Amino acid sequence: MCAIRILLADDHTVMRSGLRLLLERQPNLEVVGEAADGREAVELAEEKKPDVVVMDIAMPRLNGVEAARQIVSRSPQTAVAILSMHSDESYVIRSLKAGARAYLLKDSAEADLIAAIHAITEGKSFFSPAVRRILKEDFVHHLNEVGAEDSYELLTKREREVLQLVAEGKSNKEVASLLNLSLYTVETHRTHILQKLNLHSVPELILYAVRKGIIS
Amino acid sequence: MLVAGADALLVLRQVRTSDAQVRDLYLRRSRALDQVRSGIYQSAIVMRDYLLAVDPGIADAQVENWTNIRQRTDAAMAECAAALDPAEATPFRTLQAEVNVYWKLLELISEMQGKDKRNRGAAYLSSDLVRRRTAMLALVDRIDQISTRELNSGDAKLNVTFDRLRLRLSVMLGATLGAGLLLATFTIRRTLHLENELQRRYEEGVRAHQELKELSARLVSAQEEERRVISRELHDEIGQSLSALLMEAGNAAASVPQDSAEVRRHVESIKKLAEASVNVIRNMTLLLRPSMLDDFGLVPALEWQAREVSKRTGLRVHVAAEESASELPDEHKTCIYRVVQEALHNCARHSHARSVKVVVQQGPSKILLSVEDDGRGFDARRVRGLGLVGMEERVNHLGGAFEVQSRPGAGTRVAVELPLAS
Repeated sequence: MCAIRILLADDHTVMRSGLRLLLERQPNLEVVGEAADGREAVELAEEKKPDVVVMDIAMPRLNGVEAARQIVSRSPQTAVAILSMHSDESYVIRSLKAGARAYLLKDSAEADLIAAIHAITEGKSFFSPAVRRILKEDFVHHLNEVGAEDSYELLTKREREVLQLVAEGKSNKEVASLLNLSLYTVETHRTHILQKLNLHSVPELILYAVRKGIIS
Repeated sequence: MLVAGADALLVLRQVRTSDAQVRDLYLRRSRALDQVRSGIYQSAIVMRDYLLAVDPGIADAQVENWTNIRQRTDAAMAECAAALDPAEATPFRTLQAEVNVYWKLLELISEMQGKDKRNRGAAYLSSDLVRRRTAMLALVDRIDQISTRELNSGDAKLNVTFDRLRLRLSVMLGATLGAGLLLATFTIRRTLHLENELQRRYEEGVRAHQELKELSARLVSAQEEERRVISRELHDEIGQSLSALLMEAGNAAASVPQDSAEVRRHVESIKKLAEASVNVIRNMTLLLRPSMLDDFGLVPALEWQAREVSKRTGLRVHVAAEESASELPDEHKTCIYRVVQEALHNCARHSHARSVKVVVQQGPSKILLSVEDDGRGFDARRVRGLGLVGMEERVNHLGGAFEVQSRPGAGTRVAVELPLAS
């Protein structure tokens, strides 16, 4: 099996070297480059075509969210994992919308990073347990405060299945073959799900799934 | 002016009194002199009749008659003496002497008897008496003339007095006018000076107020900048270093041989401490200045703030804001963020509200913000805490309008309107 090729982007040298040490202890992970800011990360990603970019948000010249957007649009085969100190949902949702597949808190990097890298190379999403907890608490709190009911109950069994697979990063085609449905039916389910849950994009759907604890 | 007027009145009265006195004296004198004159004439006539009278009875009656005339004339003389002007003293004394001699002569005649009376008497009468009488009448006329002259001189004096009074009045009027002018000039200069002073003070006040406002605005922006720097510094340096430390601790733990449980425990405890510190730093940086305000703009920051307040206080906070409101000038979004922060803080502390609604609307040339709660409200006309003043100050600095609408029992609404530079 081929080693997973990784690009590190963080403006802190100590952080990068720590990450490199952590990753290179793993047999099938390889760090192919290090960038000290967002722009360098975009350039290196284009040059090295890594499988995964592990990236901080707070970086000079270009922040991690913008860099993720550019990397994903220029090299779709590269998966981006955000490694940040920020735990607020505004950072999580923006990272997801920019195309990042994993969102990790720096204080749990050591525990979660390896699992996250493996998950996203398989096309799944990954969130630090702390992030999942915060998102979920905020969501529940929000539901309680607003007094709204969780619209999850409105979904049919089939729709819930589709929701889970989409949230895990499966394409419509993959979902169709996994559930033995037509592509058209999957698309219809997806539209219904978004409508019922009042969501507007796949990243929002992923965030919702995380909040509900549907995916991890 | 008053003094001048009073003085003039006084002088006028004096003049009038003295004039009346002078005229009175003149009249008295004139009358007396007339009486004297007539007395002298009558005496001569009576004496002639006496001399001509043959009947002793008639003669005696004439003497009697003369005595009366003499008494009257003497009384008139005394009256005249009393009303005498000093200038008339000498002629009057001569007159008095002449009159006395005249009386003596007449006495002498009155004592003549018989033949003697007829012969000498006629001679006396025609020579001495007539001469004396003429001299006396001349004297009387002279005195009369002097008296008239005196009266005229009195008039002249009066005129002089009047002239003097006029001069005095003119001088007084001039002086008063001059003094008035001087006073007016002084008053005007003083007033102008005071007015200038007032203007200067006013401008000073305005300038001081302006400076104070600028200072306060500078203070606010300096504080904001400092918070931003400290927040960034805490996050980027200390936070990141702690994260790196955490990672290195993990790496260390991985390199520790399986049997050294002691070292492993220490490393674990290092990790726990670092983790706790990272959390502290994260909260501190957000409280100082939420990073989303700078990274993503106003709306995510407001939403975070709303969630935080909800979690901390149980207050339901709903944010209705257009995402475009995030693309505001830094000063504006900071202003709105801080106003909302303060307003939510007030809601949580004082209002006993259950829910708060934060609305941000962006127009082409202005941005509108309102924070409305369903709490117990307060009397907005009377209560004005430092927090409200601070909010107003921030808003005013950006040329905006700030308003607090509240009544006891009717909730509170903070409304802000900020103009946007086109």
